[in-house]
Amino acid sequence: MSVVYSFFSGWVDRSGASIGGRLPGYLMALMGVVAMMVLAASPAHADVPNAVPPKGEHQGKHVEQPIEFPHDIHANVNKINCMYCHTYARRSKVAGIPPTSKCMGCHMVIATDKPRIKKLTEYWEKREPPRWKKVHDVPDFVHFTHEKHLKRFVFDNQGMEVEKVSEVCAFCHGEVKKMTVAEKVKPLNMGFCARCHEANKGPFDCWKCHK
Amino acid sequence: MSGNNVNRRDFLKILGWGGVGVAVAGCDRPTTVTLEEGKEEVVAYLQPEEYVIPGVGVWFASTCQQCPAGCGVHGRVREGRVLKMEGNPDSPINYGKLCQMGQAGLQGHYNPDRLKKPLLRKGGALTEVSWEEAMAQLDQKVGIASGLNGERFAWFTGTVSGHQSVLLSAHLASMGSKNHFVHEVINDAVVRAVNQDMLGEAAPRYLLDQAKVVLSFGADFVGAGASPVYFANSYAKFRTATPRGVLIQVEPKMTLTGGSADLWVAIRPGTEGVLALGIANYLTTNGVDASGLPESLRALISGYGPDKVSKITGVSADRVARIAALLKDRSPSLVLAGASAEGHAHGYQSVAAITLLNILLGNVGKTIVPSGASQFPQMEAKPGNTRDLLAFANAAEQKALDVVFFHGANPVYTAPAALGLAEKIKNIPFKVAFSCFPDETAMSADLVLPILSAHEDWGTHMGVYQPEQKSISIQQPLMEPIYPDSKGFGDLLLVMLKARKVTGFDGFEDYYAYLKSAFAALPASVKGDAVSDEDFWGKTLQKGIVKVATVGGSLSTKAIEINLPEFKEDSSRPYHLVPSARLGMWDGRHANLPWLQEAPDQISKVVWTSWVEVHPQTAAKLGVKEGDFIKVASEHGAVEAQVYIYKGVHPDVIAVPMGQGHEEYGRYAKGRGVNPLKVLAPATDAKTGELALYATRVTATHAGRRELLVKLMGNETQLGRKMVATVKAEVFNRTEGGKDVA
Repeated sequence: MSVVYSFFSGWVDRSGASIGGRLPGYLMALMGVVAMMVLAASPAHADVPNAVPPKGEHQGKHVEQPIEFPHDIHANVNKINCMYCHTYARRSKVAGIPPTSKCMGCHMVIATDKPRIKKLTEYWEKREPPRWKKVHDVPDFVHFTHEKHLKRFVFDNQGMEVEKVSEVCAFCHGEVKKMTVAEKVKPLNMGFCARCHEANKGPFDCWKCHK
Repeated sequence: MSGNNVNRRDFLKILGWGGVGVAVAGCDRPTTVTLEEGKEEVVAYLQPEEYVIPGVGVWFASTCQQCPAGCGVHGRVREGRVLKMEGNPDSPINYGKLCQMGQAGLQGHYNPDRLKKPLLRKGGALTEVSWEEAMAQLDQKVGIASGLNGERFAWFTGTVSGHQSVLLSAHLASMGSKNHFVHEVINDAVVRAVNQDMLGEAAPRYLLDQAKVVLSFGADFVGAGASPVYFANSYAKFRTATPRGVLIQVEPKMTLTGGSADLWVAIRPGTEGVLALGIANYLTTNGVDASGLPESLRALISGYGPDKVSKITGVSADRVARIAALLKDRSPSLVLAGASAEGHAHGYQSVAAITLLNILLGNVGKTIVPSGASQFPQMEAKPGNTRDLLAFANAAEQKALDVVFFHGANPVYTAPAALGLAEKIKNIPFKVAFSCFPDETAMSADLVLPILSAHEDWGTHMGVYQPEQKSISIQQPLMEPIYPDSKGFGDLLLVMLKARKVTGFDGFEDYYAYLKSAFAALPASVKGDAVSDEDFWGKTLQKGIVKVATVGGSLSTKAIEINLPEFKEDSSRPYHLVPSARLGMWDGRHANLPWLQEAPDQISKVVWTSWVEVHPQTAAKLGVKEGDFIKVASEHGAVEAQVYIYKGVHPDVIAVPMGQGHEEYGRYAKGRGVNPLKVLAPATDAKTGELALYATRVTATHAGRRELLVKLMGNETQLGRKMVATVKAEVFNRTEGGKDVA
């Protein structure tokens, strides 16, 4: 039986039946104020309906990558959908770094004179994918799946336009379309995950993430 | 608390919330395990296969190579790594199931002690060399220009089958030699010989699920047997049938099968044949028609009356009568013989007496039916034995061999010390080991060629026991080779065949090309609904199994003369040594797999080491407690290991498990426990020449030191916790028909 705490009825199980006493009044009041402060600080997100974006910041560092890949040119200037390159995100637990063949699909003909593309072409001709540095990760004991999150916030989300998927990606990855190479700007720790799950009524059992 | 308004209940609640607050705050702290940005690399595919989705596993069919049973497997592959094995449901051997050894195959594949480069003995020590140098050395010794006389060349392997066997035979023929030694310690060679002589087929099909009673003389069919997963499946059907099948196991040391039996009977080692004749005596004197048997056999049976049998075997006359009555009343039954009946100088005779029971009880044709041969006899498994080990040791001693190739067998480890094999093979000037691991045989070879693991290589296999549906099981790589400097066994065979200028192999670039062409050449009847050769090959790889036709297959019943010796006790060496085998360590080949070292022995629950199993009475006589080191000495050597006291051994028996005591074989196996095979007497079965594994007499003495014996279960009792439910005998008799059992 999964048990959640409701502000209004104390501890309840999933069927909504109250299974325990309520907190003393003064604690309830205190928590109410905290909740209001939290809500006031987070207006409903304009572009993603039925979602409360997670809160939390992280001062990520700039990671030197083999190629200074410009997410801004791709996602912001040229408005390429995130899932065009990170095509595994909706099918798998990992979003996947696009295979080199995908890059070359366009860059055989586009911007071939640019230094970064020349470097990419070198990799391609050597038949060697670039060795990217990992920026976003969760520990091995955490089961995180992109597929389920995209299902909840994009594909099964009434009123959500797939074209705006980058707003959902931004929940955890920040505004990547304003960056060149990705930087970690969200903490991606348990508090961050748990608060979002609470706000968006995500699954809250331990084993959902710690399988 | 009484001084303010917070009552005890509220206080506990606040305390509780305080705890949660701390926990939530803890969650927000950056943890040490969260990976720091930019520390790890993530490499994308250059150009992925269409079906590849990172994070999603794809299952490929292959064949398990952990024992000769040849179970079909599926391997889960993700991001180019094989991560999990399961049984292939299309396999007519294991029907989608897999044992612990199959699961642990992954640890052989990812083993840190795998050989990475060819090794050549230079000035006494094995030194890493390039493949060019290794192959040049090989060509110098066995190439056409070497002038090697064919009969002085030999292959020494474990069980081989499929196209590897075909190529190996072709290579042997190209060398002009017939010397192929096939060695397995865990084998059923004596039973096969008896079956061939009495039933007309070496490995008939046993319909365990049709039998109402199974009487097994040491046949560990669900454990260390010919095809454990196949028989486990049959056994499950036998036990869930109505009425439920009854299993009686007679053996000197409880095996996994014995542990599952309804009635386990301890018997004095070597007297299994006497018990069988005692049962035959009861049957013939209680109305079972023996008129079909020759006069001499009837006379022999009448000589084994209850008192004599009870005296020799140590099984009470009453119990013999009750077992015999059960067999007579519940037909059809099935009587099986296994390692503990086979492993004596008169093993063949004992097994013949046991097989005679099947004839008397009319089981042949009911629970023992023909199995036939496959339509491709050249691909059938060559079952291993110990006779070839002895023949090989003899050939080495006679200096009859110049070059020997080893593959899939580790005779330096498995040979009893009394054979002196480690010394004798020094007479062979050039020994080549095709191996994944630095085992004892590889380390005493002159050239070691690192081969691909079973999960990286191509091959085809036929299980050593295929009673129901003959099939070829495909072995395909589940991932790219971990060590680029290792080569496929089939590829190497092909290279050697080309070097010997054997016609018909030039066109094949590698073993894959050969296999693909061989499958295209199979007759249309095998190819089913495939529309083209390419389609058939694709379907074969997808399914993993190609079913082939059975030819022949008929059983006869021929009673042969049985000649059991007088049984003598040996007061100077009062105990019988049982080198017990189990599903897990097997013959020692799995000692380098930590999962199997960690998996407790099914009977003693001991992990990671050897132990000596003794009966409580014997332990009292020797004055030893669990954990005491005990010295078990035969005429040919001694081993020392810790005592484990258990009622599942005959009081005259000292059981030491096989599998440990490696002197080489990597970090997990080396220097751990003892190898009971080393102290065996080199006695053989008089008829078949098989090594008599259970015929060694030993003394046992306290070695004067003790240590905690590490086992999973610290206690033999449930301490009243009712972890395993029990019923009283009278309840069992009333509800389960138990009164018929014992």
